[in-house]
Amino acid sequence: MRKNPPIPQIRVLTGNEAVALGALRAGVKVVTGYPGTPSTGALTSLLKIEPEGVHVEWSTNEKVAFEIAAGAAWAGQRALCTMKMSGLNVAYDSLISIAYSGCVGGLVIYVADDPGVSAGMAEQDSRGFALMSDLPMLEPASVAEAYRLVQVAFDLSERVGTPVFVRLVTGIAQSKAVVEVEEPVPPPEREAKLTRDITKFTKAGSVICMAQHRDLIARLEKAGQIIGEMGLNELQLAEKAGGLGIIASGVTASYLEEGFEIAAQFGFKRDAVSVLRVVATNPFPAAEVQTLLRYCDTILMLEELEPHIERGIYVEAHRLGFEGRIIGKLDGFFSRIGEYGVSQVVRGIGAALGEETRFFRKNPVSGAAEQLAAARPITVCAGCPHRGTFMAINQAIRKVGYKKDEVMVTGDIGCTILGMNPPFHTVWTEVSMGASLGIAQGYVHGGVETPVIATIGDSTFFHAGMPGLVNAIQHQVPLTLIIMDNGWTAMTGMQVNPGTDEPFQQIGGRRVDIAKIIPALGVEHFFTIDPFDLDESSATIQKALTLPGVKVVLARQECAIQAQRRGLKAGKVKVIPENCNLCKLCIIRTGCPAISIGEDTIIIDPNLCYGCGLCAQVCNREAIERVGESASQRGGE
Amino acid sequence: MSLESRITDYESRFTFDVYLVGVGGQGVLTIGEIVAETARRQRVPVNFYPTKGMAQRGGFVKAQIRLGREVTGANIPQRGADLVIAMEVSESLKAVRFIKPGGDFLLFGHVWPPAAVMLGKADYPTLDQVMEQVQEAGGKMHYLAPESLPLYEGNPVAANVFVLGAAIGHTRLGDVLDPLEVAHVVQTRWKRGVERNLLAFQKGLEMRG
Repeated sequence: MRKNPPIPQIRVLTGNEAVALGALRAGVKVVTGYPGTPSTGALTSLLKIEPEGVHVEWSTNEKVAFEIAAGAAWAGQRALCTMKMSGLNVAYDSLISIAYSGCVGGLVIYVADDPGVSAGMAEQDSRGFALMSDLPMLEPASVAEAYRLVQVAFDLSERVGTPVFVRLVTGIAQSKAVVEVEEPVPPPEREAKLTRDITKFTKAGSVICMAQHRDLIARLEKAGQIIGEMGLNELQLAEKAGGLGIIASGVTASYLEEGFEIAAQFGFKRDAVSVLRVVATNPFPAAEVQTLLRYCDTILMLEELEPHIERGIYVEAHRLGFEGRIIGKLDGFFSRIGEYGVSQVVRGIGAALGEETRFFRKNPVSGAAEQLAAARPITVCAGCPHRGTFMAINQAIRKVGYKKDEVMVTGDIGCTILGMNPPFHTVWTEVSMGASLGIAQGYVHGGVETPVIATIGDSTFFHAGMPGLVNAIQHQVPLTLIIMDNGWTAMTGMQVNPGTDEPFQQIGGRRVDIAKIIPALGVEHFFTIDPFDLDESSATIQKALTLPGVKVVLARQECAIQAQRRGLKAGKVKVIPENCNLCKLCIIRTGCPAISIGEDTIIIDPNLCYGCGLCAQVCNREAIERVGESASQRGGE
Repeated sequence: MSLESRITDYESRFTFDVYLVGVGGQGVLTIGEIVAETARRQRVPVNFYPTKGMAQRGGFVKAQIRLGREVTGANIPQRGADLVIAMEVSESLKAVRFIKPGGDFLLFGHVWPPAAVMLGKADYPTLDQVMEQVQEAGGKMHYLAPESLPLYEGNPVAANVFVLGAAIGHTRLGDVLDPLEVAHVVQTRWKRGVERNLLAFQKGLEMRG
């Protein structure tokens, strides 16, 4: 007997989870990625589900992750690779090559962009990568659409034989909304394909490469035809020709209805406007745009960040002899900076109707309220081992006899960058994964004669820091590298990385110990410190600063958040109120969020305090006492 | 108002936007989770968009909840929020530009001073300044003193559940979400402390007056 078809579940999902479940529904077999806000949640949710027959992993970096996914797709399986926009830069070297080769099984790249910069780094528009690599790109406008379009992306990828991008922005990736979720489909039983075809899978010579380039362009064209047949880009023409045509790309479409409601208060007629909603942003939806240009006399282009589609509209307008107004970024009306919302819809319609001023609010929001708010620079958590390392670096610089602004300390991506903020002001630069090492070497060659320090976290070291260190060793560049190894990829929400302790690795996985790598690379001056021991750490860094050549200091303590989740504490401290004169030195030096000021004494919140004891070490009135022994630091294998 | 009539309201395009602000560690996002889950149970379309900075604790946290739209962007426009829930005095100022004239502004008056303020190197806004800004923006202020936080077995209850109760009891969010449904979600969310959380929610509800 046939079973009843399962009823779709109504669930509240994030956009990231929708991508993950959509991929499961599509029968994905291999999922790889590297954590990065706002994309992290997709792979995290799959690791939680542990779907049977599906390989899911955090890879060392996005390039490795993408190569693994591509290899699986070349073997005929469906594969997904997830990353934030910065990660796409890392993966791109392989991506362009794999784009030329195409794929066999479906290969989907999920990339999340961050217009409005909620998580730091660049306001990069990854649509540019789709253009540059001639790969199709789909852009859902809602969480529910993300679930559906990931499945479409796999089908499209397999039908055309090309990798396909799915791009979300933060507002969708991290939003939670209701989605009808169908049963996941186990990966189909496909025998792994072993196809030896150097014309497809190598880049040996111009004949092969140019043939691949030709095929790549043909595949994008074919994808465009299929996208057209599927009607992915929705075109609704108004009853009467000659009015306003709105083109809304990706997320901007989600604000249209709300914008129409507001504009209606000013006499705007919804049914007089034609709308093209662009879901597939690459290839350019030429046919639909041409129809719209023939039908309308004014075009309003809504797209966040770069005017990619708008440029295409100008080309089509030129071809068709369109003489109407095109409102967008290229006429200076909208900004290339920041997120779009309902206000762009309303302002754009106002401009199109020639009534901009009437549509603008009479009293602009002043912003006076925010200016009264106290600045709240982000700092490291209570118990964070990086606090001790920043304090030790500062102390060492002072003891070697330099002022803080005489010693360059390059920074890197992750929690370790928080050393740029008060009270530490330790770190000077933040560029990209692993860049602390290259930038530091550049300063040395640039003629800086004071010591140069590079700082980096464990995951970032594995991701892209190692080549920089190898370069420093090869060229014997005098610098001190401080690796802050807290055992987790912490800032993105505690992912496992190669250095994470073995019990937390995936089954069958193995820890790669930084303490073994450094000596093996030929670093002569290698030290390990416990960042909760301030004087010892500071003395070690001080020594390193005076030695020649490449010095590496490995600061080891587990991330306090993770340790506390397992019920661990580094120790205990207590305040001796009669000794405290409220000099606030503990707050000035540590900036620890667990310390506040009471009436006659400082107060340490016992729920927040991890017992690292750094405050006790800076107190010079014996007003903070350590109780019991501090926990042992993380060791090697 | 019965649940049925509330659903009918949504069919006639009733929308309600909530802007939440506070400091990481106060459970601001949990309020949003509970509201979103209640909305799902009541079949009210919902989009919940939390944004937290990089810090686990002590950083600025905001969230946006949009109720009643099938298709919606995540961001509430300026002067668009029917309700602001603010859990910290200084951070509440960052929500002022979003309050709709005539909208409810619920402020839990907790003060979490940044280090620079504790050290006397930076100013912290007064409650009067906040009140003035909210009034200027046309918001209807509902102030909850931190001392009003009820005790359970001698210890203060979770502020976020209390504030959520007050939002349901004090503001128009209570016309959108059924207090019984919210209580149910509060009750089933945590395995431990059910009684404590229900008390927090109930005491918040009863602040109505």
